[in-house]
Amino acid sequence: MLTASIVAELRDAVGVDGLIIDRNQLQTYECDGLAVLRSLPAAVVLPRSTAQAQAVVQVCARHQIPFVGRGAGTGLSGGALPNDRGIVISFARMTRILATDIPNQRVTVEAGVINAHVTQRVTPDGHFYAPDPSSQSVCTIGGNVAENAGGAHCLKYGFTTNHVLALEVVLPTGELVHLGSPTLDAPGYDLAGVFVGSEGTLGVASTMTLRIVRRPETVQVLLAAFNSISAAGQTVSDIIAASILPAAMEIMDRLAIRAAEAAVHPHYPECEALLLVEVDGPAAEVDLHTKQVRELCRANGAWEDRLAQSEQERILVWKGRKAAFAAAGRLSPDYIVQDGVIPRTKLPMVLERVAEMAAEVGLRVCNVFHAGDGNLHPLVLYDRSIPGQEEIAVDLSMRILYLCVDHGGSITGEHGVGREKQQAMGYMYSEPDLDTMQRVRCSFDPENIANPDKLFPRPRLCGEKTGKYTPHPLETAGVAEFF
Amino acid sequence: MINTQDMTAPLAAIVGAEHLRSSGGSLAVAPGNTEEVAALLRFANEKGSSVVTWGGGTKQGWGYPVAPALMLETHRLNVLREHTWQDMTCTVEAGCTWSGLQSGLAQHGQCVALDPLWPEQATVGGIVATNDSGALRLKYGGLRDLIIGMTIVLADGTVAHTGGKVVKNVAGYDLHKLMIGAFGTLGVVTSVNFRVHSKPRCTQSFSVSAPAAEPLGKLLLMLLHAQVSTVAIQLRGSAVGFVLDVQLASLAEVLHTQAAALEAMAQREGLHSLPAQENVWSARQKQMDHEFVCKGTMLPSEIARFAGRVRGLGGESVIQGTGIMIAGFPAGTADGLMKLRGELEEAKGSLMVLKQPAEAKLDCWGTPPDSLPLMRQIKSRFDPEGILSPGRFLGHI
Repeated sequence: MLTASIVAELRDAVGVDGLIIDRNQLQTYECDGLAVLRSLPAAVVLPRSTAQAQAVVQVCARHQIPFVGRGAGTGLSGGALPNDRGIVISFARMTRILATDIPNQRVTVEAGVINAHVTQRVTPDGHFYAPDPSSQSVCTIGGNVAENAGGAHCLKYGFTTNHVLALEVVLPTGELVHLGSPTLDAPGYDLAGVFVGSEGTLGVASTMTLRIVRRPETVQVLLAAFNSISAAGQTVSDIIAASILPAAMEIMDRLAIRAAEAAVHPHYPECEALLLVEVDGPAAEVDLHTKQVRELCRANGAWEDRLAQSEQERILVWKGRKAAFAAAGRLSPDYIVQDGVIPRTKLPMVLERVAEMAAEVGLRVCNVFHAGDGNLHPLVLYDRSIPGQEEIAVDLSMRILYLCVDHGGSITGEHGVGREKQQAMGYMYSEPDLDTMQRVRCSFDPENIANPDKLFPRPRLCGEKTGKYTPHPLETAGVAEFF
Repeated sequence: MINTQDMTAPLAAIVGAEHLRSSGGSLAVAPGNTEEVAALLRFANEKGSSVVTWGGGTKQGWGYPVAPALMLETHRLNVLREHTWQDMTCTVEAGCTWSGLQSGLAQHGQCVALDPLWPEQATVGGIVATNDSGALRLKYGGLRDLIIGMTIVLADGTVAHTGGKVVKNVAGYDLHKLMIGAFGTLGVVTSVNFRVHSKPRCTQSFSVSAPAAEPLGKLLLMLLHAQVSTVAIQLRGSAVGFVLDVQLASLAEVLHTQAAALEAMAQREGLHSLPAQENVWSARQKQMDHEFVCKGTMLPSEIARFAGRVRGLGGESVIQGTGIMIAGFPAGTADGLMKLRGELEEAKGSLMVLKQPAEAKLDCWGTPPDSLPLMRQIKSRFDPEGILSPGRFLGHI
């Protein structure tokens, strides 16, 4: 509960129509895409400008109120899960595209701009915004920045951090700073690089300058059906070994194919493993690369391969893949979607082990993954109405992540740590590693109010600056005295 | 100034007497592994002894001058530890020279897609600390896009790992990004995990000359927007005006179509593309021999303007399509350089003076950003005693 005077300060910051304190309305904000975790915030504010956002954070800083930024609330790790003593800063009303500089391939946007809208804005000029998470038609750039969102095309094009040049950030202390720059290599520490992917724990970004990319001349999508995941996985390795860098390479297993077919009817061949390869670039190159990819698929035993012949076909092929998560709802009343990364070469072995682990506890796991970069999305299927099954499913999904770490991978490739995986951070990183990250966190947020209780395995305080007294250069120079 | 004499015995105990020597007013120590680096820093931290990490020594003059008590030499940390070529990643110790790293990776037809200065001498660690990059940055990105993990040792001897060995990884902060371009002020990098690329099969370079920079600037922007497989583009001054060099990479069968597309674009500006000379891509490195050398940054649309401006101020420039410039100036142009800095900063860019005659005393870093206090905070938490390259960085950090 916030005191009446604090509520009044927040109202001053964002106006009466920018503040929500009614319990029924607050419920909209009690969770993000990880709906199993819910917590009602004390208030929600919807600033319309950087100045308002800053004013809000200043109120929080004055009164030590925890806060968390929120875009569309589609995050899958509980990053936007509110603190029940704190507030949510929703960027839903900061949706302006502030500037487009096509010659220099840069766009400046407010944090609440929808990912797909950036692409829409620059499509007439032959460009697109490359990071394309599956939720791109609803998710916001601000949320993408917090999570360092990827998407299917990050194999070739990289992640959010490779496309963010500059940010306007309100620090948890209430100061406004500019990180990065529209030009490259701004002198100083790469604070923009640290901020992207920091999951709201270092402050809130209100505007950002993004890099846009020239649309490729040609895009071709190939589907190939295999009798085993390992054959599909080997094909992926062979493609990369042939110096071909496709825009995307995705694999879906039999269960995922069935779900996608039932949901959107992409007419996928029924098989153990479906490989989807998208090649883009200048037309002449793409034709040659696609031919090579086809040969490699056949060499690894693909019993069917199809080239999407039209834009419609291409969109339908992708629709099936992008619907896979939601489609899992057809296979099972409930599911947990996980997000681990392993070195690509370990794919078949890890998937086999995952299947074993699932069978051991009597659950099914359906697999969709970004084969090119080893990013797995195992969907652990279960039924909440069966007592104890949810706990088993959660435990299995976490053990899958530990398996990924054991094989030299990561606990998260794109969904972030948030609340969901904060304990697993202790499995992946040692105390010194986490301690070092904590030094950065304390530099930005000494009072621990920016999305606290997320990301790190246990609460840590920011200690006093340690070490013996060192005189300031001005003192040594005899210009100043320390009293 | 700390008395280096009474440090000799404890330092010899850490690295062995044979790896300790005097160097000017400093003691040079060469650790053999990360544990020795940690022990050295712990010792230096307790004594409050300043430390500068020393790789190939090629860029020690960049930044404000430091006269450290200890020079931590990395040449014994020079092994390419892992090359998982099928996963397209590698792990290399920071004291390995760049060319040493590349020849190791070449065994599987791969490379780290970066072309820094002085590759035979410069080490991985020094290149990372200064965030060096060359012409390949246009297509492959810079160090922040190529590095996926690091092992770092902090001033108090803490050994930390950041990132990992997989390209896609959003677990925790990207601490390695913080270390890139930090000039050794936040920690000592002992090893780096890179994503690697296949060496391009077929490349060809072309040069387009013109008496003025403007039409070449237009062609440069056209190329950035074209459906042509450009690897690198640079604009440089020449004896007869300016030259735009372009490197294309593609499959052998279709490279000629790319070259034809380039020629067609050149002709639209009344220009011609010719096969480039062998050494055009070392033009950037040649600029480093001038009296004054600076690194400038700008938007691509400003490249032609600043190429002309540098020439007008008596200098010569090599500007990459990314907007990163190396410019060399003769003696006596200090005022012009400061004017240039003002103009670049107004255009949202920057100018760092990398080399200058001793008497010039120009501020090498330029106007600090509003995030400088935050940078100081980070420095004070990473290195509370201020022993790592003290005073070298922006804001005298």
